[in-house]
Amino acid sequence: MNALELSGIVKRFGEVLAVDGISLSVARGEVLAVVGENGAGKSTLVSVASGLLAPDAGEVRAFGRSLPPGDPRAAIDAGIGAVYQHFMLVGPLTVWENAVLGREPRRFGFIDRRRARDEVAAAAQRFGLSVDIDARVDQLGVAAQQRVEIVKQLWRGARVLIVDEPTAVLSPPESAQLLATLRSLAAAGRSVLFISHKLREVLDVADRIAVLRHGHLLQATSRAETDARQLTSAIMGLSRVSGTPYETPAARSDSARHGGHGEFRIVSPKLEVREVVCRSDRGKLALRGVSFRIGGGEILGVAGVDGNGQAELAEVLTGLRPATGMVALDGDPSFHRSPAAARAAGVVHLPEDRRRRALCLGLSIEENLALGNQRAPPYARGASIDFGGRRNKALELIRAFDVRPPDPRARAGALSGGNQQKLVAARELRGGAPPRLVVAVHPTRGLDEQARQRVHEALRAAREAGAAALLVSLDLDELRALCDRILVLFDGRSTGEVPPDASDEQLGSLMLGQESAVG
Amino acid sequence: MVELRARIFAPARDPLWGALLSLLASLILSFAAIALSGRDAMAGFADLAAGAFGGPGPLGETAIKTSVLLLTGLSVAVAFSVGLFNIGAEGQLIWGALAAAVVGRSQVPGVLLWSLLAAALAGALWGLLPGWLKVRRGVHEVISTILLNWIAIHLVHGWLIAGPLAASGSGAEVSVAGTAPIAPAAWLPRLVAGSRLDAGLPLALAIALGVWLLTTRSVRGFEWRAVGAGREAAQASGIPAGRRICEGMALSGALAGIAGALLILGTEHRYPGVFRTGYGFDGIAVALVGGGTVWGSALAALVFGALRAGATRLQLVGIHPSFAELTQGFAVLLVAAPRLFQPVLLRLRGRALPPSSAPPIPTVQP
Repeated sequence: MNALELSGIVKRFGEVLAVDGISLSVARGEVLAVVGENGAGKSTLVSVASGLLAPDAGEVRAFGRSLPPGDPRAAIDAGIGAVYQHFMLVGPLTVWENAVLGREPRRFGFIDRRRARDEVAAAAQRFGLSVDIDARVDQLGVAAQQRVEIVKQLWRGARVLIVDEPTAVLSPPESAQLLATLRSLAAAGRSVLFISHKLREVLDVADRIAVLRHGHLLQATSRAETDARQLTSAIMGLSRVSGTPYETPAARSDSARHGGHGEFRIVSPKLEVREVVCRSDRGKLALRGVSFRIGGGEILGVAGVDGNGQAELAEVLTGLRPATGMVALDGDPSFHRSPAAARAAGVVHLPEDRRRRALCLGLSIEENLALGNQRAPPYARGASIDFGGRRNKALELIRAFDVRPPDPRARAGALSGGNQQKLVAARELRGGAPPRLVVAVHPTRGLDEQARQRVHEALRAAREAGAAALLVSLDLDELRALCDRILVLFDGRSTGEVPPDASDEQLGSLMLGQESAVG
Repeated sequence: MVELRARIFAPARDPLWGALLSLLASLILSFAAIALSGRDAMAGFADLAAGAFGGPGPLGETAIKTSVLLLTGLSVAVAFSVGLFNIGAEGQLIWGALAAAVVGRSQVPGVLLWSLLAAALAGALWGLLPGWLKVRRGVHEVISTILLNWIAIHLVHGWLIAGPLAASGSGAEVSVAGTAPIAPAAWLPRLVAGSRLDAGLPLALAIALGVWLLTTRSVRGFEWRAVGAGREAAQASGIPAGRRICEGMALSGALAGIAGALLILGTEHRYPGVFRTGYGFDGIAVALVGGGTVWGSALAALVFGALRAGATRLQLVGIHPSFAELTQGFAVLLVAAPRLFQPVLLRLRGRALPPSSAPPIPTVQP
């Protein structure tokens, strides 16, 4: 009898099939790692297992008993405890108060403080979780807060612990400590479902490793049967197990004109980046001295496992994040001092979080299409809005990018994700003056094939028009189809720069931080 | 018929319709409430109408109240446009009123204009403060504007008009608290004999037109709305979001300040000892019922103004004058109601409007 068993889980969000018939089980005393790129369906699967989401089909069983779908309380009662990336803790309360919150041991109708405190302390000690039971949670660091979450779940009797991307917030030594804790939990007979996309940790801690891609379970193997290289290929879809049909590099019509692969043409570098260093929102070093150049008419791909500095790099180039080092566009080193300055210099941005960063969801399609260029014709005439010019331009862009519904007055928030991205791409690439630098981050994530092609066409058109472009993507097929060179980032550094026809093995090892002899 | 149904069920798309419907429905509900309490609702409504519209006197009262409510409503609506909920119109109105009362006492030429400008400036500064706190320190504007209301009330009523700015004259003025009277040159000119109708109404309407042009027709207004609809996206697109928020809050405060000036320059002619108008708070209701739009707010201001003016007469038939507030409350609730029932309404609308009859997309030729 397995501790946790998921069978035939299907979960759909609107048009997107997030999880498509996945069956997985975790045995007692086992650490099962689930890996996959963003959007592969990991988090959805976790939410189904912990009862936060009701699956459209399939069943969750804990210790042989079937759980009612979408009932988190039943999942907790059955011994499933989840630690999410965002902690569910009350800052001003102490560690033990947080642990017992909502299930306080009572005595004569009052909280039995002594018993509660002692039990929580015992739970922490038993599993070797070092945490000051009487400390206020808001005075603890992130790693300690995470231990509080774990203690909380253990005190509540969790026999299956689900940890979702737990090391994303931790420093390397803290991560190592957490992994040791998870191992000791397994040794004590508890089960762990460990979600991550950091392969090293996964290989360190897991008994079995499952790989998800596009909502499917690609493989579930024991630790011994796999290695980093094989996992990377599976995660990235390099073996083309479920690959979408892309044009292959050889079939690219423009490859001849570009002088073929392997030969790096730098047409008077438009963008020059030297030794750039910046910090993440959490204050950790996100870029540790990255250098590269992009010429006009060139697309530089940025590959790497998510979270290795790609997002921050894009923000630096678009003026959203301060950095040290040199970043110059056509010789101008201060173009990225603010978003407004970057935009004025001809930088356009297809951000990762388009709903928040690129769109005013309450405004109409045509208003969103004007955003960023709202002060210039055809969107404005002097200080006033040019309604006619804006409407015509909007209809033109809507047609060119096939935004649906094709009603310029429709609210942007009412569009599907793919149409929102088409809207953003239309505005950024065709809405104003021809861009000089295009920064696109996961521009086709969550898009269907047709929408994906439109965005690709628009990026190619920008390149034809002489723009420099930086394309961050986790999808190696996409990078290969579009880019002239691929830069690989690992831990905030560049581990190499390779032509787009570089082998899977070469890219894989660069992504894992092994410096390339070729790049 | 189909079209009408579709329009009725689309209040969110057309705020003026939403305002009109909720105001009508709230009047019907109030009528029913009076009838249920055993009073003569017909007579009550007749008195109400007479008190609000029966001749130049009542019309003047309605006009004064409508003008002030329109300005405080616009104040709240403008803050809405940059995404802030300004509960502080009352405090901004108080400072505007005080500034008008102080400047209005001077003997300079064009004192009326200077008084209005001083009121706008005072209100703008009191509105700018929570905007600045929001941008700089992340202080939530609902909290800061509520607190700033009380600071304004106590500073002005508890200290300034009782102390430094209190009338220090002799005779009749001594017995009354408040500031000394303003110069007659600072009075808002009355437009009709036998009525207190003054230049406040045309002034408020002109300002409303200006606000409408600014918020819906100008690029700056578009940037305000973009910031209100998505601050991060606006910022990333190069709009200085913090500055736009401060601008919006300053204009919001200025409008409330001018509302205060209308009361002083039009009717009070001094800052009185007792001055708890509630117009600032009612501005919130006006803006909500008006759907945050200028003309919706104007409609709501007219109805609420008429209710305020007419409600005093209701006591004649034994109806408490707080009836006006009841109607106002109903209107706000009803405006919120369509959002509660949106799914149902959308479904009804879907049936009412077959896809084939969807309106064509209008194309504007250059």
